[in-house]
Amino acid sequence: MRKLLSGNEAIAQGAREAGVLFASAYPGTPSTEILETIARQGDIRVQWAPNEKVAYEVACGVALGGGRALVAMKHVGVNVAADPLFSSSYSGVNGGLVLVSADDPAMHSSQNEQDNRHLARAAKIPVLEPSDSQEAKDFVRMAFDISEELDTPVMLRVTTRICHSMSPVVLDADAVYRRKPIRPYRRRMSKNVLLPAHARRRHEVVEVRLRRLAQLGESARELNRIHWGDRTIGIVTSGIAYQYVREAVPHASILKLGLTYPLPADLVREFAAGVDELYVVEELDPFLEGEIRALGLRPAGKEVFPLTGELDPDKVAAVFGIDLGGDGAEAVDEQLPVRPPVLCAGCGHRAAFYTLSKMGLVVTGDIGCYTLGTLPPLLAMDSCMCMGASVGMAQGMEIALGTAADERRVVGVIGDSTFIHSGITGLINMVYNGGASTLLILDNGTTAMTGHQDHPGTGVTASGEKTHRLDFAALCRAIGVRRVRETDPYDMDRLEAVLNEELAADEPSVIICRAPCRLVERVPLGHPAEMEIDCPGCGVCLELGCPAIEELDGRSVIDPAVCTGCGLCAQICPFCGLKVDTIRRDPVTA
Amino acid sequence: MKSVFLTGVGGHGVLKLSGILAEAALTAGFDVRKSEIHGMSQRGGSVVSQVRYGNRVHSPLIPAGTADALISLELLEALRALPCLRRDGILLVNEQHISPAPLGRHRVPYPENVRELCEDRVETVVFVPAHEMARDLGNEKAANVVMAGAFSTFAPEISVEVWVHTIEAAFRPEHRELNLHAFRAGQYFTATD
Repeated sequence: MRKLLSGNEAIAQGAREAGVLFASAYPGTPSTEILETIARQGDIRVQWAPNEKVAYEVACGVALGGGRALVAMKHVGVNVAADPLFSSSYSGVNGGLVLVSADDPAMHSSQNEQDNRHLARAAKIPVLEPSDSQEAKDFVRMAFDISEELDTPVMLRVTTRICHSMSPVVLDADAVYRRKPIRPYRRRMSKNVLLPAHARRRHEVVEVRLRRLAQLGESARELNRIHWGDRTIGIVTSGIAYQYVREAVPHASILKLGLTYPLPADLVREFAAGVDELYVVEELDPFLEGEIRALGLRPAGKEVFPLTGELDPDKVAAVFGIDLGGDGAEAVDEQLPVRPPVLCAGCGHRAAFYTLSKMGLVVTGDIGCYTLGTLPPLLAMDSCMCMGASVGMAQGMEIALGTAADERRVVGVIGDSTFIHSGITGLINMVYNGGASTLLILDNGTTAMTGHQDHPGTGVTASGEKTHRLDFAALCRAIGVRRVRETDPYDMDRLEAVLNEELAADEPSVIICRAPCRLVERVPLGHPAEMEIDCPGCGVCLELGCPAIEELDGRSVIDPAVCTGCGLCAQICPFCGLKVDTIRRDPVTA
Repeated sequence: MKSVFLTGVGGHGVLKLSGILAEAALTAGFDVRKSEIHGMSQRGGSVVSQVRYGNRVHSPLIPAGTADALISLELLEALRALPCLRRDGILLVNEQHISPAPLGRHRVPYPENVRELCEDRVETVVFVPAHEMARDLGNEKAANVVMAGAFSTFAPEISVEVWVHTIEAAFRPEHRELNLHAFRAGQYFTATD
């Protein structure tokens, strides 16, 4: 049976076929659907972890205990999980342990485009790179076998175009989930307790393991293979770049690598000797190119291919002077209006960012839907670095700006899921080290940007079961924050007053703005806004950047089909021409 | 091999449409690749998807200027995507105008003459009032399936039986009838255009 699967769905299928006991993840584009699909299938125990480090550690525990475990995350998540990853390379596993790193060349939904093959090399673990959904499924099974045979965690490195592209996968129609038997566990302190004396010996083992992995890469034809074609051009490639090469340079000889680290040196030498000109086609960094150069070969790589962004068939064809027959319709001359993603109509984040923007505060931001508060017209964010950075950076900015002559007020802004991910430790630091910053927790009750996954603050697990619901206010108080306020962000005057009070306080404070995500809670907040006067077109309401308000012939027009009746426009209309009957509001106290 | 570029606005069914096309092509016996970028697809941004099918397909991405068809669920997004389409390709546009969310007071105006701009640049252009057609059938959300029907008359390699089977499988029982009507309405529109 052939079925169209995305790379992420295929990875989930591979995990099922490999008899995985446990899978964990923190949501992050482009990796999120891996765990969602596994959870939907219902065979494998699943967890959304508070962050990637915890996800990896639980998976690592399962593997040490003898079960097979898969852990999935986006590329920057591997930075968070790097500590246990690097150590588990030394300890090795027992049951198989596969880490899926979903990299995002071109940064469709990310803050950088790091190439995680570097991290695998630094951790001295093997890397498998599938080039379509069929391979994504098959490589998961192979990764588990390699993990157990060679006693190592394995990285399955995929990219957005693998994760979110669909291609046919051959499935065994009557395949049932058969959990791989749990391997016997016994205490092995010299292996799993990484004291210096133990770890020194383990490092020797790791180096031997890398040589064995390289030998595996020489002979495993299902992973690494040569297609001999025209021998004037020889191309070494991997992952999605392989597909672009097949499309753009179909006649070339190709060395397709599925196991890209460690490099199969003899296979590369054999290939290089068989062709006139050697090329390396890979996305992002010259990873394979560097390894091949270390063999004394001189391939053409990043001197002709771009270092940044994604590759595509056109970029590959251009290097070889090949015409792919493009004769496209002419682009229009006039500038077209852009259509970036926006905060939804009725989103509570809009109220918070409009208020912050109006108050002229320095805002250290964080990662989530609310990063959209950066875009015009809200323009309300000073920084966005990584998950959780808003909290520590607010304190740091305050240290610097509080010392500056033109003292400016700083507020950190973070979402509920991001706060749990890695904002909590920043807040502990703020209390411990005598900071006095104000942190705004925008609690929309979900991990919204990645598609509404549950987290410890929702009280529901990845498999849909009810569980303890983390109480943000109680947590902040337990950390030592005495000033914890909860306020309704839709009441912007109130929010501004609360912000002013807390910014004036000479101690840390947390303001929790609770406003459920409009894409989850679709019940309207009120009746659609109505224009009660002839709109003079002052444009103030347009500064909300609300998709329900459109400017037509110099006047604001409300689209009742889009408006959720949140009432923000009525609050700021200087002519009081907008009227909203609020029918529903969360009971919150300031 | 046939390459189809699909575009529209987040939340309006571009990815559902490309999914139906890809499944139909698979059922018709072809190798298929579908690509999409959906990080923020529910937040009203531009959304694009690409579907390629044939005896053997490698790249999920369509080389520039080689798409055989461009299906746009929105007028402005059709203009934006034009350079992906061969001059002698087929352009199918849902005649719906969706203004981008206001980005403050100084904004680039929505182009007025989308029809002429398209017709000047592409040989075969069909504007389909898919939005109205779907609304008349009972739910404007079925505009994407009207467009599938409109495209089907340009894709004889996929039989009507395969389309019908794919649409039946793509929707819950309570939505099947409406979407089959939407498909037939789109098919009729381009067959008689």
